[in-house]
Amino acid sequence: MPETQSVIGAQFKSTLSPLVRVESLLGLVIGTTGGLLESAVLKTSLFSGGLLGLTFGLAFGFFFARRATSPGAGLIWGLGSSFLLWILTAGGFFHFVATTGRFAMRLQDAQGHFAELVAYVLCLGMPVGVGLGIRGGFRTSRPDKKFAWGRAIVAGGFAGTLGGLIFGRWVSSGDYFPLLAGFGELSSRRMTISLHFAVALLIGVAFGLLFQRDVRAYGSCMGWGLGFGIFWWFFGPLTLLRLASGMPLDWSAEQGSAVFGSLVGHILYGLILGVAYATIDKIWVRLFIQSDPLNREIEGAGLHILRSLGWGAIAGLLGGLASMPVMIATGVLPKVAGVDSTLLGLCGVFIHLSVSAAIGMTYGLLFRDEASARGDAITWGCLFGLIWWYLGPMTLLPLLLTGVCDWSTDAASALLPSLLGHLIYGAVTALIFFLFDRRYTRSLLLDPRTSTRELRRLRPVGTPAPALWLFALSLGVLLPILLG
Amino acid sequence: MNRSFRRNSIGLLSGAIASTALTATLHYGPWSLPLGVAIGVAYSAAVRPTRRAYADNLMAGGSLGVPLWGLISVITVPLLFGQMPEWNAEQMRQHFPALVGWVVYGALLGIINQALQDGAEYLFGPEPAPKVPAVSVDKRIVILGGGFAGMHAAECLEETLRGDASISLTLVNETNALLFTPMLAEVAGSSLEPSHISTPLRSTLRRTDFIRGVVAGVDLEKRFVILDSDGGADGLSSRREIPYNHLIFALGSVSNYLGMTNIEKFAFNFKSLLDAIRIRNRIIEMFERADVESDPLLRSSLLTFVIAGGGFAGVELAGALNDFAHGILADYPRLHPHELNIMLVHSRDRVLPELSESLARYAQEKMQLRGVSFRLNTRIVDAHPGMVLLSDGEIHTETLVWTAGTAPSPLLKSLPLEKDKRGALLVDSTLALQGCPGLWAIGDCAAVTDAATGRPCPPTAQFALREAEVLASNIRAQLEGRTARGFHFDSLGALCVVGHQTACAELRIPFARSKFLRFSGLFAWFLWRGIYLAKLPGLERKIRVLMDWTIELFFPRDIVQTIDLK
Repeated sequence: MPETQSVIGAQFKSTLSPLVRVESLLGLVIGTTGGLLESAVLKTSLFSGGLLGLTFGLAFGFFFARRATSPGAGLIWGLGSSFLLWILTAGGFFHFVATTGRFAMRLQDAQGHFAELVAYVLCLGMPVGVGLGIRGGFRTSRPDKKFAWGRAIVAGGFAGTLGGLIFGRWVSSGDYFPLLAGFGELSSRRMTISLHFAVALLIGVAFGLLFQRDVRAYGSCMGWGLGFGIFWWFFGPLTLLRLASGMPLDWSAEQGSAVFGSLVGHILYGLILGVAYATIDKIWVRLFIQSDPLNREIEGAGLHILRSLGWGAIAGLLGGLASMPVMIATGVLPKVAGVDSTLLGLCGVFIHLSVSAAIGMTYGLLFRDEASARGDAITWGCLFGLIWWYLGPMTLLPLLLTGVCDWSTDAASALLPSLLGHLIYGAVTALIFFLFDRRYTRSLLLDPRTSTRELRRLRPVGTPAPALWLFALSLGVLLPILLG
Repeated sequence: MNRSFRRNSIGLLSGAIASTALTATLHYGPWSLPLGVAIGVAYSAAVRPTRRAYADNLMAGGSLGVPLWGLISVITVPLLFGQMPEWNAEQMRQHFPALVGWVVYGALLGIINQALQDGAEYLFGPEPAPKVPAVSVDKRIVILGGGFAGMHAAECLEETLRGDASISLTLVNETNALLFTPMLAEVAGSSLEPSHISTPLRSTLRRTDFIRGVVAGVDLEKRFVILDSDGGADGLSSRREIPYNHLIFALGSVSNYLGMTNIEKFAFNFKSLLDAIRIRNRIIEMFERADVESDPLLRSSLLTFVIAGGGFAGVELAGALNDFAHGILADYPRLHPHELNIMLVHSRDRVLPELSESLARYAQEKMQLRGVSFRLNTRIVDAHPGMVLLSDGEIHTETLVWTAGTAPSPLLKSLPLEKDKRGALLVDSTLALQGCPGLWAIGDCAAVTDAATGRPCPPTAQFALREAEVLASNIRAQLEGRTARGFHFDSLGALCVVGHQTACAELRIPFARSKFLRFSGLFAWFLWRGIYLAKLPGLERKIRVLMDWTIELFFPRDIVQTIDLK
């Protein structure tokens, strides 16, 4: 790892001066244009919008340009930084500290600034990030990770279509297509389904093209899928589909609340897309890359899986114990157990712990190669908990108990208390799993061959994982609160 | 500067500065500072420092603000004030400003922490690497032999001494793979590819130093093993000495020809992978020669295959060769089934003395029905080219396979150690050689007595594996000055394949000592395949064997000669 870092550091150092100049200029131009566009859409002062865009573009070019090594990486860094910009400006921090000397923002104020959130994401974060990412793609040659167009299009397209198929069959029974929310009525059902698959294919191909270099296993694919799902909700139902159906843009919190169900749908679609993409990509890599003796890894398939499942089960059990007080106190446990609240007791606890252990096994299976430090583990764990909140109590549990899933803001509000329980569960599970894995890895480091496994896991500095954590985790928690 | 002190100081300072965001957004009064400091210290300790990773830390810190908001603002603080956590939807919405504050605090913490890390590096140099105590190897454990006992002993020692770099493990073996002997007969019978039942020792053992070589001797006084490694640069063998503190004899056994030199000269051995390949090729060679042989007597001699010994190895080999030979007859239209003679010669009145009499009779009847002939109560006394002399007659044959007896490794003869009448090393119930500190023996080369029953343990793989586990535990106990435990194991039973989809099984009933379940036929065969497939080391090997078995269901066995035996 130190060698990797020093190589990257040397690359950055050698290109720093011209890089800062060119990228800052590019950021400035795109940012200013985005700021003007944002002002036009929000009908605010062009000067202030342009100035904000200029500042954002300049700052992004200065601070994040080195990280935007591809359009996908640039997009994620752009999304993360635009969210941070919203928190600091429209979200209220700077404004209220400056005007009142004390932060006293209310939720209603933030809801009033929801349009700015969408605008910052779509007019500033996305174009500046992607623009500098495209530039970064030409600038940075990463011989360790060559981009394979065929792999990206085939794996992404197939995963997108597969996700669309699973998702479409699931929700078409209720005649509700979340990927098309905001588009309005189409003349025929066949056209609706065709458009659903076209959007699914588009999202899938875009996922493959943008993130092939950044995702590495199921866990990161799911994380990226979650973030991409949230982004696509801003871009699709709130923007493109409305424009395509001839309706005026409406980025208000009310419109966000109206299509909140579609947000859950997009998040779940992103997860399905991530898992499908990871599966197809792994098969591709196994068949065409790792089958080459020059690329073969020391540890064969399956060696680590059983161990990860065991650790995941124990970690999940401990995570379940840690989150149990929250689940009991918020009255979520009887629902999780699927039994009447009068039966809560050993039965409920037993079912809760069993489910926790089983879900912990999925963490072991899907996220085993993601975290390289305790901080990373906790963040990945929180993301895992958030994923399970959308997947479990928001979707699967009502589906199993009642046959339908309720993605309304009311349902999300009712389930908000369990969101904390899920975050705690995820963080504890991930931390315990990490400790198990680290203990084992340390003992293996006696053998120099196996230390390569540890190196493989260390995410090189500069990958957009931290930006993804901020964007996906914050918005995944914030949006149900803000739009409820 | 001490690594922990440096990280804690940086965390403390960055937490204190970033806590201004908490002071501005939360209403915790003076508590914001210690709260911010405590989290700063934890953050600094949990995040791997990397030079100039400002963007990364800004985002990572900001994202950690979300769970911190839930944990502290929504749950902990109300609890500290004696109230219920404020986690219903409305209460959480009221905590929205705190969420903003925590995200800003996290982002600030990340970026300040990074700035201080870089500053510290500029002023004091890079963070000192975690102190790894200089580990010198204090104890050397050397295992002689890489069979079931040796390899499993190495595996168990790796596990039990995990993380202790002061102890080195070395395994010496003549080949670089563990041979899974229960499936050896299937290699001879062309059911399985030879390499599919061998597991490379280098790949399986993670921290053990593997040396392929022949043990020439052991200097018990100076405590080193003398190796006769072949393959030097000049093609000549070279001697090498390996010092040890603990030496484990797991050398296994070799065929015992009972002093009959002619048999040793003419018979095929059946102990190694090469032996099995030779036998398979011998069968094909005999068929090829018989196909062009017009003399009926000579053809009969060529197509007669004698297996000496009616134990597990002999019976399973006879069954496998019988199936193979009958199966390939279709490729030799000039040969007739009645010309083929697979004969098993055994010195006692029944085969399979390890199993009950009823199962042994069943096995014999089944094999006879499938074409195997038996000569019981008969000894092989001599052999010449084209002929085997029995205690009650003679057989004209070109092929004799010897499975009638085994003896411990001949190396043991040269060592001044106490042995039993077989020549196996006498060990006490803890598997240590009495009066020889640091010397241990397990497997076929050891005369082990069960600590609970006082009975001698049979030289089987089942016992060897359990002995290896106890041995590893006892070596660790001795290293730590604890008392070693005695070896005790109740046999789980035995399984034997006697022909196509037919086997005999005798399995001990759990928790009922000396009571066995006996069954035979297809179910026993399924059990045999299932159990041994599960025991075959390595997922890849399991898949390969499973594929071989599946292919065998649909296609005839291969008759390509892989080595020249002419």
